[in-house]
Amino acid sequence: MAAKQGAAATTYSPKPLVRTRPPIFKDSDLDWTRPDGRGFHQCRPALLQTGAVSSASGSAYAEFGNTKVIVSVFGPRESKKAMSYSDVGRLNCDVTYTTFASTGTDHKEFSSMLHKALEGVIMMESFPKTTVDVFALVLESGGSDLPVVISCASLALADAGIMMYDLITAVSVSCIGKSLMIDPVTEEEGCEDGSFTMTCMPSRYEITQLTITGEWTTPNINEAMQLCLDACSKLGEIMRDCLKQAASASEELT
Amino acid sequence: MGLPDSTQDLSSEMDVDAFRRIFPLRFFERHLSESLRPDARPLGKARDTIVNLGLVSTADGSALAKIGSTTMLAAIRMEVMTPSTDSPDEGCIAIEFHMPPICSPTVRPGRPAEAAPVISKRLSDTILSSGMIDLKELCLVSGKAAWMSYLDIYCLDADGSLFDAALLSAVAAFSNLKIPVVALNDNGRIVAINGEGEEESNASKKEAVNKEKRKLTLKNVPSSLTCILHKSYILADPTAEEESIMDTLVTVVLDSSDQMVSFYKSGGNVLAYSSAIKSCVELAKKRGKELKQILGEMDID
Amino acid sequence: MEIDREDGRKPNQLRPLACSRNILNRPHGSASWSQGDTKVLAAVYGPKAGIKKNENPEKACFEVIWKPKSGQIGKAEKEYEMILKRTIQSICVLTVNPNTTTSVIIQVVHDDGSLLPCAVNAACAALVDAGIPMKHLAVAICCCLADNGSIVLDPSKLEEKKMTALAYLVFPNTTLSVLPEGSSLVEGEPVEDGIITSVTYGVMSVDDYFLCVENGRAATASLSAFFRKNFQQSQKVSFKA
Repeated sequence: MAAKQGAAATTYSPKPLVRTRPPIFKDSDLDWTRPDGRGFHQCRPALLQTGAVSSASGSAYAEFGNTKVIVSVFGPRESKKAMSYSDVGRLNCDVTYTTFASTGTDHKEFSSMLHKALEGVIMMESFPKTTVDVFALVLESGGSDLPVVISCASLALADAGIMMYDLITAVSVSCIGKSLMIDPVTEEEGCEDGSFTMTCMPSRYEITQLTITGEWTTPNINEAMQLCLDACSKLGEIMRDCLKQAASASEELT
Repeated sequence: MGLPDSTQDLSSEMDVDAFRRIFPLRFFERHLSESLRPDARPLGKARDTIVNLGLVSTADGSALAKIGSTTMLAAIRMEVMTPSTDSPDEGCIAIEFHMPPICSPTVRPGRPAEAAPVISKRLSDTILSSGMIDLKELCLVSGKAAWMSYLDIYCLDADGSLFDAALLSAVAAFSNLKIPVVALNDNGRIVAINGEGEEESNASKKEAVNKEKRKLTLKNVPSSLTCILHKSYILADPTAEEESIMDTLVTVVLDSSDQMVSFYKSGGNVLAYSSAIKSCVELAKKRGKELKQILGEMDID
Repeated sequence: MEIDREDGRKPNQLRPLACSRNILNRPHGSASWSQGDTKVLAAVYGPKAGIKKNENPEKACFEVIWKPKSGQIGKAEKEYEMILKRTIQSICVLTVNPNTTTSVIIQVVHDDGSLLPCAVNAACAALVDAGIPMKHLAVAICCCLADNGSIVLDPSKLEEKKMTALAYLVFPNTTLSVLPEGSSLVEGEPVEDGIITSVTYGVMSVDDYFLCVENGRAATASLSAFFRKNFQQSQKVSFKA
């Protein structure tokens, strides 16, 4: 009856896969505008929401432009049986993409990068012998996926009531030619010369993770660092407001 | 029943939440005898249902369906394939249901949920056998090219009645589907025409193959309702908690003309007798009308 | 009304049944079941100490492993596994052996239609052979709705493809009871009329479904009788030995 399903037919997308490199920086750097009309040092509007998944201990949904991410936190719960005894808690991270999120590579390294970004901020000793699971699903990829996942994860951890030293925020900067662009979209990431991603604790003014790839000059790095720190602290404010709102809303209910 | 008196006594002095955890069945039966459920629903009523269309910009059609807190995101990508020789003028639909680890505490990465492939199979059986979509409409050039539509459904939050929500999101995604305008190029491959803009000159050269076929006509739209049978009670649209406590689930799928597309019951302690089947079908009919209205409100364009 | 079937059967006539039990040495219980050319082998291991992660301290746990005739296990087989597992769980007494796992392995020898019902019957016979405590047997049948609206039972693969709709139904077996007739009625219907499992493919009207159920029910009476006869025979043999 339904025999014709999952046939081994090879398919292809009618849309061309290779993105044409935008004709940028031909004449002057300053004339160029970003694909979504933002200024070079302007972030995308952020939509943050806690409590997206009812069955999780804590969860958050983040939407930065077209980048849409859900993060669920489970636990602290029993560690896997095979794990030996441990005085401090464990953190387990996983980042997956939906099949329709993007046309391109899957990001296997994101799970471990998320783990590295978060482990410095969580008070692991507050949940000995147990594991906290942080699972992220990228619903749609629109650029700067990892920073969005990290920020969203910290919001979800806060929603789950996991003890942390501070909220964690992440922002990335792309270097194209001579200019720096904050919070790049997919098109910009596709033609960047270098990328700079910073994860920091805004209130403590500490960095938990810094990733630099590509070609960078020292002054550019300094500038990018300042840009990111500034953006991180502003994002921290937004996240704090989001948590405050959620808390006051739940207070009204009870 | 074992020790009715001891629990009776305990319940009077016990915290409600503790009672719910320790004696879940008794907790539910207490509610059922009052014809109510712990979330204040009458037995035969489904949870609030919301459908949103077109949330995923990278897909050709997408929909988010929410029944209570059960949330499903469905998206369709259209790709081109060479149709098989025994059905040269038919396209194909591939349906995949995913349960990522975010949706439920029972799903862990690396260990996919047992239920996911089963629901996948049931969804494709239901959608393909209901005749909702005429596969001939997915044909582009007979014998040469046809659409393969990949429908991926992600469960974002699992709180019972997964099949119902998944089917609803699938139907809504198909109603949202906008087939890209394509043309046959010189190499015999199908390429997209970006409606307006710079490729205008190219587009005029190549004739669009499917100018008028931008939307699929959906007929016999299936709608489903899952019920729990427990003793002589019938609970429509169960939550995950209810499903875990009372194990007899019946899913009725009816199409828009109230024909039965599927009657699915796999095991369970309670046997389904004719009277119960009839009541389930009645509830499903009622639910079908509700869903039709919800989907109807969406179809503005 | 009478339609001709490829093999000259009447619409409600089943293919010849065959069942033999205790055919394998290593499993605790085994059975082969065939309906015409469809043949399924079932083996039961257990109850063993629960090692599965989904074990339950209060109840016995079952796992079903489906081995197709050839090739990899796909979604359809996964669905069969789930249906079979839930069906078995509903007919077995789960509280006798808590915290154990019982494995049921189904090997498809040949598929010529009505595969799932055949597997249910085989599994049931193997469970009896292994001495797993059960509330009652499960008797499975496949009913088809032909284009002209008539009901055909136990279709072959060729017939399955031509049908507009089909239903796999599992009922409890008919009981021989010393209780007076009518004492075991549930809502005015005898116990054996209740459906344990129902899986349908294709579109049919609600009335047609009930027609299928009615026809299937009638056929399960003869299947039950076959089960009973088979079990009694082998019991006599074991008494002699």
